[in-house]
Amino acid sequence: MFGLGDLSLTYLASTTLVSLYVSTVAVVLSAAVGLPISLAVGFNDFYGKSAVTSVISTGMGFPSVVVGLVVLLALSQSGPLGSFDLLFTPEAMIISQTILALPVLVSISLSAVQSVPQDRRDAAFAAGGTSTDVALLVVREARYGIVTALLAAYGRAISEVGSVLIVGGNIVFSDSTSFTRTLTTAITVEARRGNVETGIALGAILLTLVLAVNALGARFRDRTPGGRAR
Amino acid sequence: MTARGGTWDDSGSERPVPGGNQTGIRLAARNLSHGFEDGAVLEDISLAVEPGEVLAVVGPSGTGKTTLFRLLALFEPPTDGTVEVDGDDVWELSEARRLAVRRRVGMAFQSRSLFSATVEANVSYGLRVRRSWGTRVRDAVGRALGQNGPSETVIEALQTVGLGDKIDRDAASLSAGEAQRVAIARALAPDPDVLLLDEPTSNLDPRNTAAIESAMRAARARGIAVALATHDMQQARRVSDRTAVLLDGACIESGPTDRVFDSPTDDRVRRFVDGKLVY
Repeated sequence: MFGLGDLSLTYLASTTLVSLYVSTVAVVLSAAVGLPISLAVGFNDFYGKSAVTSVISTGMGFPSVVVGLVVLLALSQSGPLGSFDLLFTPEAMIISQTILALPVLVSISLSAVQSVPQDRRDAAFAAGGTSTDVALLVVREARYGIVTALLAAYGRAISEVGSVLIVGGNIVFSDSTSFTRTLTTAITVEARRGNVETGIALGAILLTLVLAVNALGARFRDRTPGGRAR
Repeated sequence: MTARGGTWDDSGSERPVPGGNQTGIRLAARNLSHGFEDGAVLEDISLAVEPGEVLAVVGPSGTGKTTLFRLLALFEPPTDGTVEVDGDDVWELSEARRLAVRRRVGMAFQSRSLFSATVEANVSYGLRVRRSWGTRVRDAVGRALGQNGPSETVIEALQTVGLGDKIDRDAASLSAGEAQRVAIARALAPDPDVLLLDEPTSNLDPRNTAAIESAMRAARARGIAVALATHDMQQARRVSDRTAVLLDGACIESGPTDRVFDSPTDDRVRRFVDGKLVY
């Protein structure tokens, strides 16, 4: 551990790891739930589809502290999920981040799926594709939009403060190892304490992570035929 | 390319069944009517496309040619009447047998319909979806590792439309004419028995039009039954053996192309051929 005021490698590393762990698992869960929802809504016409789409879009603007409060009540001892004893754990933070990331992911990926022209679906069908083949073709055609949805969901999750503060408790052990403290909640704490250097270091790490994730998305887009803008 | 014909394989695979009909298939519409919520589009259409011929379905825009071709390509069942292959009502067949029928019919559309991928990936699509999932995964891994090159079938289909040198190009970088030719190569690659071309040369320059007409003739020479929807009367005359004239959703005349053009029995056809019937 090297010291520079309150700045310690253990603190930075563990806080970063908690952020990555919580956000990554939340986005994976959001994708596992959200992508099938996007495909189901995107492929089918049904009564009330526009209402469903509106609800999903509205979810993108959920206030994170309200989500945190609801998850807190659900996970508290007297709440319906209290028996799982998850409150003030990384898993509680994953739940709240999943709820926040899900509408972002569904809304953007749904838009991507719906934007695939009908004539490409027709071409896949006419080429002998089954309904499964056509669905896979649509996912492939919408891949850049779906990657954008994943990136946006990741951005929403990793930059989240309010709900993870409420359900995670912002806990750090006495040896400076983070348990439920993320980069964002750590910045809040360090700024309040006047530890500007630590706050800046944490902010730089957060920005680097976000940039790295977006760079990966851009690299995917540019290396695939049809992906580069013309 | 495989030999023409074969009987329907329940698996829907590309493999022709040994001992089947080796002379191709006859795709027919019998008393076909179709409508949407806002009214009837097709009324009592009966026509057939035979192996080794080009049938031109001509008529003004909006007269139901695309709807007819979508019904022949089995996108949906007709409101009334039947789509028949070698005399069998296709919509009475099991789903697996209908898929097998569908996989012997190729179609290219008027609109730009290439996938966001390379030319090779577009043309090989019809071949890939006919393979088992295990083979598809092995092929995908092989491609990712750079072990699989383009198949001879794909190269041959592209050569048929004069684009053998474009195989590695990104489909998005093609001109409209080249894209339409790739779409036809995609329809030809699985070696269909029937090829449906819906206004394949509308808005294309003479060079691309000539290339597509050459591909039609090559398909006919291979014994493929080619149906061409067009509002270009001169093109119908150049490439087709028989012509059916659609007007207001009804087939008002059909027969050998020379006879339909030179001595039509219906006065509306005469005026349409002469360019005096304007829609």
